[in-house]
Amino acid sequence: MASGSTVGLSCSVVFTTHTQYPLPSQKFMIPTSWKRFHLSQLINKALSLTKPIPFDFLVKGDLLRTSLGDWCAENDFSEEETLEIEYIESIMPPQKMSDIPHEDWVSSVSCKLAGYFLTASYDGYIRGFDYSQKLTFSALAHAAPITSLCVIPTHGHEDELSYTIATSSHDLTAQITRLSLSSESEPKSETQTLAKLHLHTAPVSSIAADPSGNHLLTSSWDTLIGLWDTTVPLTDEVPEAPINDREKKKRRKLNGGTNDSAEKAKRKAPTMVLKSHTARVSRVVFGNSGSENTAYSCGFDSTVRVWDVESGVCTHTITSSEKPFLDIALNADGHTALAASTDRTVTLYDVRQGSFSTSGTTSSGSLLHAAMPSCLATGSTPHQVFSGAYDGVVRLWDLRSLKSAVTSFKAWEGRKKVLSIDWMRGMVGVGGEGGLEVWKAIEDLHS
Amino acid sequence: MALNSKKRKQNDHEELPPSFDEAVNMEMLSDEEGGVDIESDNGDLDDFPELDPDSDENDDEEYESEDEEEEESDSEQLHIFPKVKTVVSDITGQEKRVYPEIEPDYDSDSSTEDTPNRVGDIPMHWYDDLPHVGYDMDGKRILKPARGDELDRFLETVEDPTSWTSAFDKTAQADKPLTAEELDLIRRLYANEVPDAEYDPYEPTTEWFTGKGKKEVMPLSAAPEPKRRWVPSKWEHKKVMKIVRAIRQGRILPNKTKVTSTPQFYSIWGESSSSHAPPLPAPKPPLPTNSESYNPPEEYLPTEEEKKQWEETDPEDRERDYLPEKYSALRLVPGYGRFIKDRFNRQLDLYMAPRVQRVKLNIDPNSLIPKLPSPNSLKPFPTYKSLQVPHASMARCISVSPDGAWVVSGDETGVIALWEVNVGKAVKKWKFNGKIGTVEWCPRADVSYFVVGTEDMLHFIIPPNLPPTVLQLSQSILAPSTLPPVPETPSPVKWSTPSSTVWTDDTAILTIQLPSSSGLPVQIAWHRRGDYLASVSTGGSQGAVWIHQISRRHSQAPFKKVRGKVQLVLFHPIKPCFFVAASFFLTQQYVRMYNLSEQKLLKTLQPGIKWISSMDVHPSGDHLIVGGYDRKLCWFDLELSDKPYKVLRYHTRAIRSLQFHPTYPLFASSSDDGAIQIFHSRIYNDLMTDPLIVPLKILRGHEVTKGLGVLQVKWCSRHPWLVSGGADGAVNVWCS
Repeated sequence: MASGSTVGLSCSVVFTTHTQYPLPSQKFMIPTSWKRFHLSQLINKALSLTKPIPFDFLVKGDLLRTSLGDWCAENDFSEEETLEIEYIESIMPPQKMSDIPHEDWVSSVSCKLAGYFLTASYDGYIRGFDYSQKLTFSALAHAAPITSLCVIPTHGHEDELSYTIATSSHDLTAQITRLSLSSESEPKSETQTLAKLHLHTAPVSSIAADPSGNHLLTSSWDTLIGLWDTTVPLTDEVPEAPINDREKKKRRKLNGGTNDSAEKAKRKAPTMVLKSHTARVSRVVFGNSGSENTAYSCGFDSTVRVWDVESGVCTHTITSSEKPFLDIALNADGHTALAASTDRTVTLYDVRQGSFSTSGTTSSGSLLHAAMPSCLATGSTPHQVFSGAYDGVVRLWDLRSLKSAVTSFKAWEGRKKVLSIDWMRGMVGVGGEGGLEVWKAIEDLHS
Repeated sequence: MALNSKKRKQNDHEELPPSFDEAVNMEMLSDEEGGVDIESDNGDLDDFPELDPDSDENDDEEYESEDEEEEESDSEQLHIFPKVKTVVSDITGQEKRVYPEIEPDYDSDSSTEDTPNRVGDIPMHWYDDLPHVGYDMDGKRILKPARGDELDRFLETVEDPTSWTSAFDKTAQADKPLTAEELDLIRRLYANEVPDAEYDPYEPTTEWFTGKGKKEVMPLSAAPEPKRRWVPSKWEHKKVMKIVRAIRQGRILPNKTKVTSTPQFYSIWGESSSSHAPPLPAPKPPLPTNSESYNPPEEYLPTEEEKKQWEETDPEDRERDYLPEKYSALRLVPGYGRFIKDRFNRQLDLYMAPRVQRVKLNIDPNSLIPKLPSPNSLKPFPTYKSLQVPHASMARCISVSPDGAWVVSGDETGVIALWEVNVGKAVKKWKFNGKIGTVEWCPRADVSYFVVGTEDMLHFIIPPNLPPTVLQLSQSILAPSTLPPVPETPSPVKWSTPSSTVWTDDTAILTIQLPSSSGLPVQIAWHRRGDYLASVSTGGSQGAVWIHQISRRHSQAPFKKVRGKVQLVLFHPIKPCFFVAASFFLTQQYVRMYNLSEQKLLKTLQPGIKWISSMDVHPSGDHLIVGGYDRKLCWFDLELSDKPYKVLRYHTRAIRSLQFHPTYPLFASSSDDGAIQIFHSRIYNDLMTDPLIVPLKILRGHEVTKGLGVLQVKWCSRHPWLVSGGADGAVNVWCS
């Protein structure tokens, strides 16, 4: 149906919304040739907004990209019926703010610290950048590539510029590092390794801190998940591994840079080990605030597991077939878990407690990617998710419209893999093969 | 004329003398009756349409009177002919019969009888509108007789008893009653009788020359009989003597069986020969179409341009050999000028075109394709390229760690890269001098190291970031603190370990120095237990194959004397068997299977491949695939035969590498055409069921450089992921 020929046609439409701009529920007769722009103008007129707000329109879970008539023709929707259209605030296309190249691949990005971007890199360094793209600090944390980094939230900490961060690495350990950022009084940033977490016998794939900042979770290739508290022990909890003569030299060389004696990192043992996965655990995350005792993990055994952290029991397992998962993220309301797998999909699972008994373990939808999605970032709104993929494209999805991404942007020139994204305060930090890029995206409403 | 002659005859009869008449009275009566009969008959035939009313009346009267007279004698037979009157002769005084006089002139023929109307035989309706019906002899008009109206006519039919036997006379334009002869004739025709009442079909024969006293005994001629009647013929005698002489001389063989020779000319289509099918009927010429009509619809008529184009093209290039033309009527169509030409072409077509009955098998080609399950039902298998790891030059060798997490890839510049399968970030790199020939992980799960083959050397490397137990075990295996006793006979292969002070992660912990000039090791095959490994090198005379034992730090050459050149070796995954693919002089290629414990040859497989490039054995150990540079892939069922169970040729260039997936029912082959093909290969435990081989996917993504495509493919052990190294320097990971 050509839009030109349907100038005269119109269809009846009822608008609904969950935004703070509600319209009185009434039927509108709208020409089928109208597109998003016209509808947005209509809403603005009807609300008589002083400052125009662009809106996007969801028609039956489908983001309207064509004219209404074309949509009806595509979806075999008869124009006599009343169309229910939900409108949401439009998302501005992300804009690139800065590009910070790194010497090596960036495996993890954190935007959690206000005013700073923290990156962990494959050369074992943690780097911090302020918003003016200046390198504020860099510290060699691990001798092997760092796989993951998280900032441990501190509540009521006395020092504003002192933070603790946790990193996981290929060297089979994770560690807790104190980071004192530079200020007027202390011009030089300092890092101090507080504790090394010894449990895993294979590279540690991820580390996560709970919202209260008291617990850490590490996942590893050796199918284990370690639960740790964040207190730094006074003595080594794990005995030093016997070092044969071949190792000594290497160890000496490695520790040569740091003056060990006094501030030697304590070897810390886990408080609990969560065993249930049968293959590599690729990511473990804590539940959102309010359900801190729940943890979600995904692994190469094609399962998503829900853990009760207090008892260390796997309360539920969502099994799918042949979907080795790479990353898992919870959306803001904690109802949906998104898991990225190597078959180029991000699958949505309903993880509410009540839903397991009813809906079983079926997925409630999936987001199809053009390349392997490697990382996910959820923001404070429950509908929006960023996903980064190996083709270097970061896509923004609206979970109400699963068919295609709302918007996307390409980080770096060429085909460079995105390995980590973080989304805070309207900024998306994209880390990967080309270093770090920061993009301006939707304003984070909560912060 | 015949009738006339007959009449004359009758007249003759009539003129016969009365005595004779009386003598043969009876006979003559019948005769005469016949004669008269004929005459009247004659008249009947001709005169039916135009009847003389006078004679008719007379006839009728006569007829009636006759009826009265001869009712009892011959009631059926009507004597309608001129009746014989018996009168008393005034001469003899006796009764005599008197016949009515017949005038022997032309008028006696009733056809020339006088009719008052002389208009002739014309359609009488010409006179319909006129008051008269014609003209008489004098040219006077004959007026139409008064004809009553329908009512009168009806009354007539009722009143007049003869009206039903009357017929309309056209010339007289009036109803005429039929004569008795005519009625009799009609009746006879109705009754299917002979119309002539007097004709007797059963009259007795008249014997003229037979019978007693009627024989001709006297000769007709008095001439004497000629001599030839009784003298034997001289010419006959000569003729007979000629035959007799011929028989004596043997020129004529009497009683000779007649040779039935095939006639020179015979009808080839007369009878169908038994061996051939009867000749096919000639194909019919196509039926004329609408455009060939003399008055085709307008849309068939060519436009001026089409006409011009038609005229300009050569006759053989024309789409059709006529131009549609329109004529308003069929009679305006001119003669067809191309008739002869068309006939000639038709004859040529029939003559030149061989008419052969082709036995066409009506087989749906799709039905010949074996029923294979849909690839979608055989998931998972690699479908897309998830990442790419670049190398500086040809990535000739790759190996995936036994746990499927790490890949080592070596290129021709001597760089070995270790990277994660999922991320593709080279965690560590090693640099060697010269090309890397091959790289292979040790299959043991409790240790972690891999072997790199460079020129004349095998390097054992421990990857970084190992858990302490694994690291220690690996080190103790590769570099034990107490070396095993050196064998008595010095081996040409040197095992060396750098001292603990020198060794770092960046160097090999163990190096095996192969004999010099043994060349680049192109293949390393591990035994499944990880204690033995076999290496195949390019150069060297017999030193191409070595089997190394790690625990004893000892190397041995399994073959004392090798005929030909060993290309590949392989350990059997279960049994203590050893496969060797070798070649003699480019012609003979074979794969031999040895039992290592008994040290004897088990079987020789004949793949029929020109040059074996790759070989892999199925994890079950019963199936072997062999790929060749001549694009063929042979699937051997080792239990079944020495010959390939199946030979597949699907790559367009030489096959470079093959591998079975260790756990999934998959195998992959790579080729110089830059493509990797993935196959589903399900092997059933049931020996009766043949292995199922289903092509699943062609993976394209490597570029062909210098004529080389994908050099090696390796599977990840726990996932259906494939790692491929190409000549374009890229190592790709293909994920499902």
